[in-house]
Amino acid sequence: MSLLPAAGLVMILVGVASHYATRSLQGFSAFPAANVALGIALVLVGAAARARAFRGFSGAASRRVALRALAIFAAGAIAAIGLGVASRSWTARLDLTVDRLYTLSDQTRSLCAELDRSGAVAIELVFFEDALLAKDARLLVAAYGAACPRVSIRDASRSEPPAGARALYTTTATTVIACRGGVCDPVGYPSERNITAALLRLSSERSPRVFFLIGHGEVDLASESDGGYSGLAALLRDQGFDVRALVGPAAAEGPAGADVLIAAAPERDLLPEEIALLDRWLESGGRMLVLAEPGLRSNLYSDLLLRWGFDLEDGVIVDAAASPLLENPSPLNLLVHLFAPYHPVSRTLSRRTMVLMPTTRPVALARKPQPDDRLERIAFATERARVDHDLTRALAGRSPARSDAAIGEPAVAAAGSYPRGGTGAAGEASAAEARIVVIGDRDFASNRLIGALYNRDLLLNAARWLASDESRIALTDKAWTPNQDPLTLQQTVAYFYFLAFALPEALLLLGIYAWWRQRA
Amino acid sequence: MIGRVLALARKELRQLFASPIAYVVGTAYVALTGIYFFQHLVSYNQLLFVYQSEGLGGGGFDQGTVPSHINVLNEVFVPAADDFGLFLLVVLPLVTMRVFAEERASGTDELLLTSGLRPFEVALAKHAVTYLFVVLLLAASAIYPAVVVSRAALGFEHLIALYVGQLCYGCAIASIGLACSSFTSSQIVAAVLGYSIPFVLLDFAWLSNAVSEPVARALGEIALLGHYGSFPRGVIELREVLYFASIAFLGWLASLTALELGRAR
Repeated sequence: MSLLPAAGLVMILVGVASHYATRSLQGFSAFPAANVALGIALVLVGAAARARAFRGFSGAASRRVALRALAIFAAGAIAAIGLGVASRSWTARLDLTVDRLYTLSDQTRSLCAELDRSGAVAIELVFFEDALLAKDARLLVAAYGAACPRVSIRDASRSEPPAGARALYTTTATTVIACRGGVCDPVGYPSERNITAALLRLSSERSPRVFFLIGHGEVDLASESDGGYSGLAALLRDQGFDVRALVGPAAAEGPAGADVLIAAAPERDLLPEEIALLDRWLESGGRMLVLAEPGLRSNLYSDLLLRWGFDLEDGVIVDAAASPLLENPSPLNLLVHLFAPYHPVSRTLSRRTMVLMPTTRPVALARKPQPDDRLERIAFATERARVDHDLTRALAGRSPARSDAAIGEPAVAAAGSYPRGGTGAAGEASAAEARIVVIGDRDFASNRLIGALYNRDLLLNAARWLASDESRIALTDKAWTPNQDPLTLQQTVAYFYFLAFALPEALLLLGIYAWWRQRA
Repeated sequence: MIGRVLALARKELRQLFASPIAYVVGTAYVALTGIYFFQHLVSYNQLLFVYQSEGLGGGGFDQGTVPSHINVLNEVFVPAADDFGLFLLVVLPLVTMRVFAEERASGTDELLLTSGLRPFEVALAKHAVTYLFVVLLLAASAIYPAVVVSRAALGFEHLIALYVGQLCYGCAIASIGLACSSFTSSQIVAAVLGYSIPFVLLDFAWLSNAVSEPVARALGEIALLGHYGSFPRGVIELREVLYFASIAFLGWLASLTALELGRAR
């Protein structure tokens, strides 16, 4: 090979390298361009000179061999390129991450199957390939394209975002925007949780309305502190619920427009007319979620819930096998892992999917209002748990080790369904069925704990069952196993000396031995 | 046929490890990967220290102050995998440059082809030995990440995905180098070609301003780096494995063609 092509290759290399080195400073400039252009020219000139110097093959047989070789190469190249082009649409993959990060969860898959069954308008995920987080998100977004027939992926560039998504493209971190028809939804951080939530919001024909009862000392939905509950409202909105406040059900509208009413640990009595209004609303097929807490006294628990079959005796569940997860381990911090296997709210939860509930009130069952009603305990403490009715003593950590009043597996949550002849149209049996879910703790839904373990799953499952959205009851996406601090700095240095020096040294010594053998 | 290929492969292997170049290349690669992996691990430890520092309001792991995106995967393995790929690009042409070129320069290639071995078998044996060398290089460099994986919760399966990607990438680079070596009798030219072609194929972003978007997209599909990103993240995609296998196949085919053309002349 002559000198010219070698020089040309060197110039191309220098041109490309200098472009990469300086592109952030001044983009594509003359120096790299000139090097690349001149280098290509030199390579072509050298190739032409070599071609002119070629004296041909020595005979017909040689020419046949040469032509056959070239034909085989050409055929192989075409086959390889064809296979490459065909395989671009193949989605077969092995997800070997610990948490199966790039494998869609059951919830997402069931949502995709539901979208496919319903023949809903397709949803387009606009994926910005040049976004900051694109490299990490690409695999996840591709999984949606492969698993969801009604979801398509559209590659876009941040320099020219598509028309519908333009208004939502706010920062260079914007990676995915979900669009359906003319409506687009910002996904936020490109995680499975957020993308699926966006699909839920876009695919919901009508968002279930969730009313929060307020005005009786319920939890503070606006507070963003650890003890606040802004996360609870935000979670429900993310999942496609229309969240509103109901300031006393004695207001003109009452809870009539609600699909689900949430009474999040009221601390005071409701007015008699409020209780009566709630009672009538439930009789007509209303749905309610009640969060309780030890020590709270309200006629919501003692009157209304008792009438509907729930006995919230005041006390706190004490369990010797309680959770050490919080900073002050105590027998009051329940790690709930026993669930009713068949109830829609709890059937997707199991021993491996625990819920953390600090200071929990027992939820017992009382007499059913009507014979056809169904009441069921859906989550339990362990067989070693019992109820301490002396709250002061229990909260001070002085519950006796043994008690004659041991119950064993006291329930921390229960659910009831009540077929009622409501005002629903014929065939809408479920619309006239009242449903109530009672959970004996409110702290598990606080900002601090709602993201812990599977707390949000229990809450969302309850909300979806109450909203007759059972098809979307499934585990939410996986938590990322934190793999932090595998080695201390000292250990890292120790391993480095042992491995990064000893091993190369061994190889070098082997090489010296091989060289000496060769010379000998 | 298999017997002949194996016999040639054994001879090539002996020749490879009789020469100091294999050891020098192995030492360089293992040292470079070790140093850079160590640097990433130290930086990660320092980052953790910053987050945990009480002076900045942190409270240690108990308080969950370290964000979930700060972890061994994102801060150590993914950037380290990019480095490892670059080091393969640096060291492999030094191994591949002599495989065919040395035989051509010394005239023993004619001896080989008249010994009853078919060009198909010669190319197969030489490529197989070089790929085996890539496997040995990667096995030696896997000790560092394996130590970290055994301590962290990353999982050995994830490490397997990373190294499958390294293997595919390394075999592709090696096959390009072998193809270049088969067309010349000069090891220097083979090395220059073995560096240039993979380097240019690495990423075509430098052309994106000079060509239209469809052409830029097509070039992006050819670029090596674009097919490598999923492996460090723990995912083995069939189409990416096929892509690298296609390059290795084309490289082998090119070596075969060079041998056939040499025989024809």
